[in-house]
Amino acid sequence: MSKPVVIEGLDGSLLAKLDPEGKLRVAACLQCGRCSSGCTMRTETDILPHQINRMVLFGLEDQLLTSKAIWTCVSCQTCVARCPMKVDTPALIDNLRAMAHAVPAETRRIRIFNEAMLGSMRRFGRVYEFGMMAIYKLRSRDFFSDLLKFPTMLRKGKMKLVPPAGKGRAAVARIFDRTQKRANR
Amino acid sequence: MRYAFFPGCSMKSTAHEFEMSTLAVARSLGIELEEIPDWTCCGSTPAHATDALLAASLPARNLAIAESLGLDVVTCCAACYSRLAAANLAISQDARLRAEVADAIGTEYSGGVRVLHFLQVLNESTGIDELRDSVVAGLGGLKVACYYGCLLTRPRELSIVNVSNGADPEDPQVMEKILTAAGAEPIEWSYKTECCGASFSITRTDTVKRLSGDILRMAKASGAKCVAVACPLCHTNLDLRQADIESATGEKIGLPVFFFTQLLGRALGIPDSELGIGKLMTDPYRVLSSK
Repeated sequence: MSKPVVIEGLDGSLLAKLDPEGKLRVAACLQCGRCSSGCTMRTETDILPHQINRMVLFGLEDQLLTSKAIWTCVSCQTCVARCPMKVDTPALIDNLRAMAHAVPAETRRIRIFNEAMLGSMRRFGRVYEFGMMAIYKLRSRDFFSDLLKFPTMLRKGKMKLVPPAGKGRAAVARIFDRTQKRANR
Repeated sequence: MRYAFFPGCSMKSTAHEFEMSTLAVARSLGIELEEIPDWTCCGSTPAHATDALLAASLPARNLAIAESLGLDVVTCCAACYSRLAAANLAISQDARLRAEVADAIGTEYSGGVRVLHFLQVLNESTGIDELRDSVVAGLGGLKVACYYGCLLTRPRELSIVNVSNGADPEDPQVMEKILTAAGAEPIEWSYKTECCGASFSITRTDTVKRLSGDILRMAKASGAKCVAVACPLCHTNLDLRQADIESATGEKIGLPVFFFTQLLGRALGIPDSELGIGKLMTDPYRVLSSK
């Protein structure tokens, strides 16, 4: 039997943080590249899906958490759908996003949009598109794009000025509070 | 047939015509859709990109209400379908998550309510034969590209395609069967499960123009005169963004983009005003006779 290859300096703690129970099957990745060849964002990203899998095993936390790749992922699920080993790279990327603090400038807007939408859900229980877009535009300083679409959308009833009124908003606020408390623990 | 209906946020705004046409088609076919009382957002992409427990709890609150009504859940939004079904799967497989979700939503939920997309209801419960028998104004062989996007067919565990029967999740056929029954002629094409760019429409508009532009151009090159979709975000990107896509390349595309329920509704003889045809951005009367 050949001797196992030991690579010095590898750190398994990142994998333990991202996938403590091994449910995402990261270690099963064969590096076949089928995920990356079908990746919707392959031409716009800095790290491809199969590389993300391997970098997680290698514990390259800083490189991953400051990458564009974890934000340019559009969650299309193509990689996991085609993976012969059923590695759940989209879920792995979700967990990386949850750990990331610094977001590269080019992908900052994606996080701002996510936060604006979550804020809308928390406040109204449902997404209030008009208010969410206003907050997104202020925070991203992307004031003018698509502005000309608003009058048509209002006229066609595709966007409403009045926020949604549902009795579920308190229940949703509770869900946000409870899950946040657990995440901070 | 009676179901708990989960509309989702887009049905009340950007895709209001999808809700209108879904409800009109359901009424016409005798499918009862009872809106889940005080339903709340499924969490969509921002929730699962932020926290797994939040992503499971937001759908679970709605599913628990449906469970108390004793009804299966139907939604017509592909993203809501995906989030509700993903939460169900995660909750039913993980006892610890189940306990954490119960704490977050304040009630026990086992993950046992069945979640269906409206395409599945039409295909499985109503059935293609009954659909064909209900058609009063066939679509006259309209060449349509049926476009599914991502979340109806991926990942495999959540696919509306019956993969356990050997069906190919990359080549779904359910919308084709429904619209064929309605008298259309769905085309064969290779981009039906490509991604349109989803919410990057706002944050990375150029990305969406590229991805959605490729989809529209492929549909047209494959002989389609219009596109049918089953997802509000896909619709926004292909219809509302189509003018931007055209001006980016200077090439006219001119493909009307319908919700599949609008085309089916027409075939069932439902007036355009009840199907929200007037809310579409790309002129639908290029391919539809006006009535």
